[in-house]
Amino acid sequence: MSPSLFFHLVLLETKKLMSYRVDFWITMLVALVVNLVILWALWQAIFAESGKELIGGWDLNGILAYGVMVFLTGRIVRGGDLQMTVATDIYDGSLSRYLLYPRHYPFVKYAQQVGNILPDLFQSLLMGLVAIPLLGISTTTDVSPMSLLMAIPSILVAHLLFFLMSLTPQYIAFWADNVWSLSVMLRFVTMLLGGAMLPLTLFPESIQDGLRWLPFSYLFEFPTLVALGKIGFVQWYQGICYCLLWSLLMGLLSIPVWRRGDLRYTGVGI
Amino acid sequence: MIRVQNLRKIFKVHRKPPGFAASVKSLFRRDWIDKVAVTGSTFEVNEGEIVGLIGANGAGKTTLVKMLSGIIHPTAGEAEVLGHVPWKREDAFRRQIALIMGQKAQMWWDLPGADCFELLREIYQIPPEQYRKSLAKLSEMLQIGDEMNIQIRRLSLGERMKMELIAALLHSPKVVYLDEPTIGLDITTQRAVRDFLLEYRRTNAPAMILTSHYMEDIERLCERIIIIREGEIVYDGSLKRVMREYAPYKQLRLNVHRSSTAPLDLASLEAMGQVIECDPGSLCLRVDRDKVPEVAAELLRKYSVIDLSIEDPEIGDTIERIMAGKADGIR
Repeated sequence: MSPSLFFHLVLLETKKLMSYRVDFWITMLVALVVNLVILWALWQAIFAESGKELIGGWDLNGILAYGVMVFLTGRIVRGGDLQMTVATDIYDGSLSRYLLYPRHYPFVKYAQQVGNILPDLFQSLLMGLVAIPLLGISTTTDVSPMSLLMAIPSILVAHLLFFLMSLTPQYIAFWADNVWSLSVMLRFVTMLLGGAMLPLTLFPESIQDGLRWLPFSYLFEFPTLVALGKIGFVQWYQGICYCLLWSLLMGLLSIPVWRRGDLRYTGVGI
Repeated sequence: MIRVQNLRKIFKVHRKPPGFAASVKSLFRRDWIDKVAVTGSTFEVNEGEIVGLIGANGAGKTTLVKMLSGIIHPTAGEAEVLGHVPWKREDAFRRQIALIMGQKAQMWWDLPGADCFELLREIYQIPPEQYRKSLAKLSEMLQIGDEMNIQIRRLSLGERMKMELIAALLHSPKVVYLDEPTIGLDITTQRAVRDFLLEYRRTNAPAMILTSHYMEDIERLCERIIIIREGEIVYDGSLKRVMREYAPYKQLRLNVHRSSTAPLDLASLEAMGQVIECDPGSLCLRVDRDKVPEVAAELLRKYSVIDLSIEDPEIGDTIERIMAGKADGIR
């Protein structure tokens, strides 16, 4: 795909989302307030009840910072509402339009997905400016301009991995029509095992060991830890490479599924 | 340009009987049936030709179009469009075709037409100069002005269809599939779309396949038609020939003076042809084409005729009869 087409698709998708101004601001405000209240109430109670200063290597302010940061990065990684569009395209026949274009369908969808995260990126930045000053100083995090800079590519590769990871389950729509439940399952599994609900250091050792061999931690925990300054440069570089490797694997896995599914496509709706 | 050889498509369809018990059962075990959508179609379409694909709902017209545009794979058979196998979806093939679907919007609902066209320019890699000329020409032909800057979802159905036409033809395709392009449009817009398509054919000479339920589309646009019944092609030829072969009769309609003429005698009329209507003062007879002069003379001699007209049967009626398998001499 030519860079100018990619850029065009990205901008168009962003423009489309920005045209719904009310939705844009309400989504942001509600999500921020609800998450801040839940995080604060939950972890305040846990720390008070346990009487401990540190839980899983985090103090209260540190874990609140993790919660805020993983919420902000997670929104970008998941790419908003677009995560089901491939399955929806297959289900309602909108895929037909893309099959007519002389372009590779997943690339077009990826460009649209990137376009979809630009408003999220902007929103997360705004929310970060509001929420981060409210957090107290933590001895377990080390946020710096450098760590925040390093977080940007980490988030982008995590987003690519999430997109490619969600392709195969969505292609199941060629056989099952409606794969909403699969998508919900994928969302919860990735959020839980990827560290979007709580830091993976709070999991039992054996599970943590197992998760090291899986791609989930690169989705949410990795970019968050990078932003919080808990990942050194070498580890960061390795993490990016692993994430890209997993992305390649997920992309390759989706190809035969697409080929088999394509043979069954009926192009309903026309 | 388009060559189709024995093309078949069979869909596997989940059969679900009504009722709650059947729904529960379907969670564990499903019954599938084969639904034959297209049975061994063979035909060719040449450059500059508009071929009307006619058939009842579910006859297989759209399935055929979907295979020829590369959207779906056939179960068996061969097809070649511009030297390409459509379902291989080579870029060189997709750059030269367009599919316009009257029932399904292909443009981006939340964006104005101008943005959609720009995106299509990128997708098809249309050189800027050619794009500007194409857009200006198509907009002028379809009389589109400021509408181009309004979100697609806020346009009327007619305006949206005009946008769809521009979007589909911007890259000057050599093969155009039109799936019910005038469905739901008012008479004026239907006419505008037909005029536009004729003009487009005159200037660009693409091969076009048109499906439509409106006979006026077929009569105005197509010299050749293909009639499909239950997935099978039952007629492929000119519109004129369909009338000659499948409607070998004409209708004689006459009004007679009630007072000064002999009463209409049903028995003698039936000897001349099939009586369609027989009221005091008016009569309609279906007569074999070669007997028309003789019967007309007989009627003029026998009755005091005020008015006599000789009509071809409605083409729509004839095609409907073919589609239903009722026409004389159907293959």
